[in-house]
Amino acid sequence: MTPARPNRVLVTGVSNPLGAEVARRLAPQVPYLFGCDVHDPISAIEEMDFVHADVRHAAIGKLVSRLQIDTVVHLAVMVDSPHAERSIHETDVIGTMNILVGCSGPSSRVRRLIVKSSQAVYGAGPTDPSFFSEDMTNPERPASSVTRDLLDLEQLVAEFALREESCQVSVLRLGFRVSEDTTLARYLSLPVVPTFAGFDPRLQLLHEEDAAEAIVRAVLGDHPGVFNVAAGGVVLLSQAIAIMGGSPAPILPPYGRWMGRLALRAFAGVNLPAHLADVIAYGSVMDTSRLEAAFGWEPVYTSRAVMDALARGKDLEVVEAPSPPQEYELQVYLQRRRREARNGHRATPKLPAHR
Amino acid sequence: MIQEQVTPRQRKKNSKPAEIVRPRSGLGLPKQVRRLQRQAPVYALKGLSELSVRLRDLTGRNVIDLNRIMSVAQFVYKQQELARRGANYEVDEFGFDPQWTESFLSVFEVLYRDYWRVETTGVENVPATGRALLVANHAGVLPWDGTMIKTAVFAEHSHPRHVRALVASMFLGMPVLSWFLRRTGQTVGHPDDTRRLLERDELVLVFPEGVRGTGKSFKDRYRLRRFGRGGFVATAIRSRAPIIPVSVVGSEEIYPMVADLAPLARLFGLPYFPVTPFWPWLGPLGMIPLPSKWRIQFHEPIHVEENPPEAADDQNLVMALADEVRNTIQQGIYDNLKLRRGVFL
Repeated sequence: MTPARPNRVLVTGVSNPLGAEVARRLAPQVPYLFGCDVHDPISAIEEMDFVHADVRHAAIGKLVSRLQIDTVVHLAVMVDSPHAERSIHETDVIGTMNILVGCSGPSSRVRRLIVKSSQAVYGAGPTDPSFFSEDMTNPERPASSVTRDLLDLEQLVAEFALREESCQVSVLRLGFRVSEDTTLARYLSLPVVPTFAGFDPRLQLLHEEDAAEAIVRAVLGDHPGVFNVAAGGVVLLSQAIAIMGGSPAPILPPYGRWMGRLALRAFAGVNLPAHLADVIAYGSVMDTSRLEAAFGWEPVYTSRAVMDALARGKDLEVVEAPSPPQEYELQVYLQRRRREARNGHRATPKLPAHR
Repeated sequence: MIQEQVTPRQRKKNSKPAEIVRPRSGLGLPKQVRRLQRQAPVYALKGLSELSVRLRDLTGRNVIDLNRIMSVAQFVYKQQELARRGANYEVDEFGFDPQWTESFLSVFEVLYRDYWRVETTGVENVPATGRALLVANHAGVLPWDGTMIKTAVFAEHSHPRHVRALVASMFLGMPVLSWFLRRTGQTVGHPDDTRRLLERDELVLVFPEGVRGTGKSFKDRYRLRRFGRGGFVATAIRSRAPIIPVSVVGSEEIYPMVADLAPLARLFGLPYFPVTPFWPWLGPLGMIPLPSKWRIQFHEPIHVEENPPEAADDQNLVMALADEVRNTIQQGIYDNLKLRRGVFL
């Protein structure tokens, strides 16, 4: 069964830069666009109805059914975040569970679900193959908390996809991004970058624009399954540091990742998550041939171009500055007018009783 | 717009004193000494060349081979040049940097020609283009045999090619080694990696014996261990690549391993902890390999790619082919041992 074109689309986590970019690209392409997040959106999109909603609460399921959503784009998945492990677990696993509950059931109208995952799901280690295909996740490995959360999340989504045959599920494992204010970007921009002594791993990155484009293509196209999304080619850690104009300092102890992380936090002020510490020791590269075959598209930026773009500081312009509060007010007003027009009666602004 | 008149007085007021750019005075040494410093390598080479000419006149043969010394000097300058590239070089997706590797191959060539005096036969069996799987016996505590096979193909073949060896994942977890091995084109011994390299039409070198080969004691020398479970044959059939057996003689004697301290090995997370007459007694000096005489023979290709891809799942056929490869290598070792006059000759 081929699902129809997406009609009523809900984007969760729309207030992070990636979610905002996806919403901006989707807005002209779908009839009805809804966005939800716990924070105010960073940019006003007139075509989007914004709802304050937290995926960690079960109410999100009700939102999905009440709004008669047929396509859910689940981007409220934290991978690289300053929040505590506990909070990340709540958002990633419990949040996804709530979304899935909203999408399941015989009365559900949801026909397409796109879930954002991350390259961090593979972890990184010396015994790994040089390229991760989609089936190479390793649940047995003592992994970092984020990797464990992502594995749990993907397990839930896989079970959902088996259970609900009428819903088409795409999972996009996005490569590491340095274009927004990520920990990896902050680490690579240090003037003197402490690295693990004797290691110079390959890094694979993903540009913000390519990430958004892949998600939009997954929404509008017809691509069920799990896909690795990452830039072509690799860049060595030492190269990346040199491109950023820093100089590598191989001073972190080669054994005992936690010591290196502690030193980084104390002396460089970068709180590197455990999965990223493994990545800058052993490197992690994904095989994107399945994406290229299914989507007929590949990321525009190579890993090296992503680094070059970061070094040029061009990406600072991609992320929009927060709109002024008036614009947000205007957006809310326009939304209300549109909603009322859709419901049949004229938009007659009613004054609140207490005024 | 009206051009504002600037009086000389104003110009003088606005101007800043020019910054005087002068070269740094270095270590503050007198000019003569600095010139001597700069010229020192040239003087050293001049002196060596005169010495070599004198020695040749005296003894009638090349005692000091200037070409080899020049290649080492070249290596030093090459490294400086490579360092100047900054980030402006490309590595392939496995992290292989060909330019950097070639600078090291010139040093390995000195070992190849002068230290181990490797005699290579059958290098024409290695295809000039296209994929092939080189399968070799593994010996010596450290994988110098892989290095020498790489050097042999690069130095002796009519179309110099880079051989991409598969190494145990353990080495890729070690500092420095992981960086060096990846940068020079090696990758982890995973079937998926082998397939990918072969599909890029690379020459792939595999040691099916693995650490069982390198960690065997001196009394078991030149007796091949079990060849894994024949996985390399299955991968070659699936990737449509011919197998070229390679026999290496001489690698067994570089570190004559008399004992294996298993508890120490377990402590350091190593597969074996060798004890040789020199290691660990002499410290780092014990890591210098002995100058045995080496012979490398590349055998005729075994065309496993003529089998249909389904044959890779036929365990009987795979094991039969693995045995054929093993016997070819073992026979090659016996032949080359006979051709060798002595361990160090």
